[in-house]
Amino acid sequence: MVNPIYIVVALLGSAFLSGLSKQHSSAAASWLAYGALLFSVVVSATWLGAFIFNGIPAAEIFTAGVNPPFSINLRMGLEEAFLTLAINLAGMAGLSYLSRDFSIWGQKATTIFLVLIMSVNVVVMTRDLFNLFVFSEVGSIAMVGLIFTRRDTDGYSAGFKYLIAVSVISALLLLGIGFVYYNTGSLNVDTILSQSSLVNGSLAVALFLVLISLVLELKVFPVNGWALDVYQTVNPGIGSVISGVVGTGSLYVLYKMLPLGGALWYEIVLIVGLVTFVGSNFVAISQKNVNRLLGYSSVAQAGLLMVALGAAPLVGQHFLLIAGGVFLSQFLAKSGLFWLAGMINSADTAGWAVLRQKPVLLVLFGFFVLALAGFPPFPSFFGKWQLVIDLAHNGQFAVIAALLIGSLFEAVYLFRWLGEAIKLPVAEGLTLQTPLSRLWPVLLFGILLPVGGYLFSRLTPGFDGFLMVSVAFALALMLLDYLPAWIKNSLTIAGLLLYASLVYPLIEGDLIRVVFAVIFVGGGLLTLIAGYSVKGKRMGFFPFAILMYAGLIGLIEAQNLLQFLFAWELMTLGSYILIIRGKKSMLHALNYMLFSLGGAYMIMMGISLSVFGTQGLDLALMGTSYWPVWSVALLALGFLTKTAALGLHIWLPGAHAEAESDVSPMVSGILLKAGAFGLVLLFLAIGGEANSQQPLLYALGWLGALTALGGNLMAAFQEDAKKLLAYSSVANLGYILFAFAFMTHIGWIAGFTYSINHFLFKTLLFLAIGGVVLRTGTHNMYEMGGLIKRVPWSFITVLIGIITLAGIPPLSGFSGKWLFYHAVIAKGWYFQGTMVFFAGTIAFLYCFKLIYSIFLGQEKDHLRKVKEVPVWYIVPQVLLVLAIMVFSYRPDLILVPLGHTLAAANYFPTDPITWNGLTASTTAGYWNASQIMMVIGVMFVILLGWLLFMSRKAQKVKQFNIVFAAERPFRPETTHYSYNMFRHYHRAVGFLVAPVATRFWNGVDAVMHDVAHSAKKIYSGNGQTYIVHLLAYVVIIYLLMF
Amino acid sequence: MNYPSLGQIAMAAGMMLFMLGLWGIITRKNILRIIISFTLLDAGINIVLVSIGFLRNRTAPIVDQALPATQTLEKAVDPVPQALVLTAIVIGLGITALMLAYALQLYRKTGSLDINKFNSLKW
Repeated sequence: MVNPIYIVVALLGSAFLSGLSKQHSSAAASWLAYGALLFSVVVSATWLGAFIFNGIPAAEIFTAGVNPPFSINLRMGLEEAFLTLAINLAGMAGLSYLSRDFSIWGQKATTIFLVLIMSVNVVVMTRDLFNLFVFSEVGSIAMVGLIFTRRDTDGYSAGFKYLIAVSVISALLLLGIGFVYYNTGSLNVDTILSQSSLVNGSLAVALFLVLISLVLELKVFPVNGWALDVYQTVNPGIGSVISGVVGTGSLYVLYKMLPLGGALWYEIVLIVGLVTFVGSNFVAISQKNVNRLLGYSSVAQAGLLMVALGAAPLVGQHFLLIAGGVFLSQFLAKSGLFWLAGMINSADTAGWAVLRQKPVLLVLFGFFVLALAGFPPFPSFFGKWQLVIDLAHNGQFAVIAALLIGSLFEAVYLFRWLGEAIKLPVAEGLTLQTPLSRLWPVLLFGILLPVGGYLFSRLTPGFDGFLMVSVAFALALMLLDYLPAWIKNSLTIAGLLLYASLVYPLIEGDLIRVVFAVIFVGGGLLTLIAGYSVKGKRMGFFPFAILMYAGLIGLIEAQNLLQFLFAWELMTLGSYILIIRGKKSMLHALNYMLFSLGGAYMIMMGISLSVFGTQGLDLALMGTSYWPVWSVALLALGFLTKTAALGLHIWLPGAHAEAESDVSPMVSGILLKAGAFGLVLLFLAIGGEANSQQPLLYALGWLGALTALGGNLMAAFQEDAKKLLAYSSVANLGYILFAFAFMTHIGWIAGFTYSINHFLFKTLLFLAIGGVVLRTGTHNMYEMGGLIKRVPWSFITVLIGIITLAGIPPLSGFSGKWLFYHAVIAKGWYFQGTMVFFAGTIAFLYCFKLIYSIFLGQEKDHLRKVKEVPVWYIVPQVLLVLAIMVFSYRPDLILVPLGHTLAAANYFPTDPITWNGLTASTTAGYWNASQIMMVIGVMFVILLGWLLFMSRKAQKVKQFNIVFAAERPFRPETTHYSYNMFRHYHRAVGFLVAPVATRFWNGVDAVMHDVAHSAKKIYSGNGQTYIVHLLAYVVIIYLLMF
Repeated sequence: MNYPSLGQIAMAAGMMLFMLGLWGIITRKNILRIIISFTLLDAGINIVLVSIGFLRNRTAPIVDQALPATQTLEKAVDPVPQALVLTAIVIGLGITALMLAYALQLYRKTGSLDINKFNSLKW
């Protein structure tokens, strides 16, 4: 093994040489610099390899031929090897990235840069306090020297503020070190640690000075204005060094020194970190300047890592997993983001749309954002998960709640930014600067993210590496994105089937899971078939479609809470990208993401409450805790965010309506069932029929009923066909919630029937309407009309769809209704039941509107040439119609075995339905689906025949063989019968559909932005004020401690 | 009456200088005065460090004819703080030089040395 002291030698030596070299030999000098950095990378990497694979113990490196404490010693352990590798790699990539700037600034810059990297290496490895001070000062001087390269007033003033602040902080550090020596007679960290039992008043103050200055060097919120100004002004290449390299060094020093302070200091660091994480993310919400935003975000991530540090005594052996996962994500992602910022050169986040010129970079930008937000498959997901679980085991729920709130703030600006890059028009005059010297660092760090994610997933207890296969498949599809769409579509279908066939043996016999699996996989197949109609490449679609479906199947497959959450987040991620692909979907997708994340964090909080006092992660733990009401409520609300219960529904209509034609059925007919599946798992976990949560379930029942009513009312007043269907989905998920909340056998049978029905008819309707929208180019029903002759197939399928939706016999919607009424009678929820019944009659209104205004009435001039929808849309519709027919004719095929499953002892043993052949009966009545179907089928044929017979002599008239009696239409569209069709109802009950929820959430949004904007004002820009902040902070922490 | 020792006087003086410097940094508006305050603060710390290693009636820890190596433990003051101070002085010099370089450039660009004028970056 190479002695790590040679890292210092190589870097310092090449720095000297490059400083001495003449301008004409600058090429040689820069190769020398690369060589030294490469050497350092290799040395760190070999040590890391030896620690991981050979398990060697940490090595102590002595200098000056004397043993410590009389000399300075360095340590090379697992942590040091990992961090120096990261630092040197970032140094090498950063040098390449900055090489163009350095060639302008001159050879000096390279020298300073190498000194900086060297100093951080020493800071990480040293075990001597004073040595630490010296090299952190060397690092600061080098840093300020690099800031000096921006030659304008902003750069100089930011640099000066930084310099003053850093000097005051290190003055405190030096003073502290002096008194530590005074009290212990040593500067060696290990020697001082061995005396830590002797901590008395004076040593405690000395250690306070040391530790508080280390904390301040991490630029904690809100005393970090001096650092933010620098982030805003410097070249982003240098910003990445401050955030990635210097920040890493400072964090590690705190980690190294924290044991000196004892238990109290861990708490202080935890609280300081938490305040930093939440506060910094909060003020970032209203920030639009990219570099400053990156600064806020860097500070916030450092805060998160401080939380992990402070929690070290609580998390025990998981510390390296937690801190490592969070560190690696933020290190790679933040460096990458700074580098991208330098390539784009736009002060505003909106300028990032230019990334679309190089799709690879857009994808990597997505990686970085997702890694920061803690999405799988990136390392931070596993780190954050384990942190939350370990905190939960220790009952630290306030900390968890604060972490989750901070994460949500973070998501607001991260996903707004990502959305802008994906959707906004490219600004004039902006071009991407992507020379190879800047490209490879971004590519390397981007690729390392999923690799790191895989490694950390292997370390996380309870994770099954098999789940990563689907992620790998999606990544592979991303690489194949240059292929034509039909090939990728076939690959996606093959992947979906393969995954489903691998998962099926695991869930065979568990009928509840099988039903949902059929919905997810079957729905996936049908909607992907429709995708064959798309010509061209359809880039960026299939990898995310497979991620969404893999997430959905993963939910079914999940063996424990970690796997469940992993799948949940994959599904959210995939569907977010699918949704944002719609033309006007930028804001809708952001809403969707924020509500989904809010829901996911509520689920996370519910999980935390559930696992307290246990060691396991079993799914059956959901909602069973010391605080069952809270955990059940949080989990249920989390799942209801996905099903869009009333009040949490505002993201849905836009997201579903503006999505592409084949995406709408995916996200509406299929994806919403994920929330329903979550509810099913939760309700079974709390004991099925024997649960003790009746008051909460009663409230959820009401919520379901109100959602059904509200959703249907809003649907009836839509002019946009897809919005109508979307609101109708809100309502239908309300029915499903209502039915499951009964927590009775028959209620659940009804709930499953509704789930299956909604999947069948909503997928069918969205496919049919989506196909029509493809042909007509509009969603507005009043702009359509008379299309029955143009798209007869769609007419028939829509007809069957709405008959099912409206619950009209003989189709399966009626089965649901029949079961539902019996469930209501058995449970005695008459008032809510009546409300849901009333909601059903409103469904008639919009069903009628849907079919009438699109297919009947007057044909429009511009739609006379409309062709039948693509055959790839018809095929899945026909299959769905067949499925509806089968389910309508023989519902017993599913419901009888499902009844047996649900009758299990710990589910719903009281089974009031008796099946006699095809006849189901309860004490309230009986029903035979097949008979009804036959009777009505015969009636239909007779009536149709009669109608045809009677109208055999009917005279055909041309469309305009009428007059508009006494009408003066302004626009032809507004004469359409369907325009403002239910205006008379609107006058009567319009107040019920006033956008209360939308107004509420808009209010939340406005207040957040305003408060965040005011909070930012503490960064006055005055260097002295920043120093006063620093000192005041020190005093406050001191007063808190002593 | 017990007179304070030289070490205690040095320590008190150093602390006073330190506080004075800190006060100057947060109250003076002229950048040059801020820099001077910083050097006061720095000098204060150095004096404090020296006073930490001070032992009464002992000599400088320089091994020569007057102080054979065998007698260092009895006759010399603690050398470590002295070494620290030497290093700290060098670092302080570097920082002061950088501060002055910044002050010079700020003055060249704007013709002003008023710290309150340099707050265009904020929020």
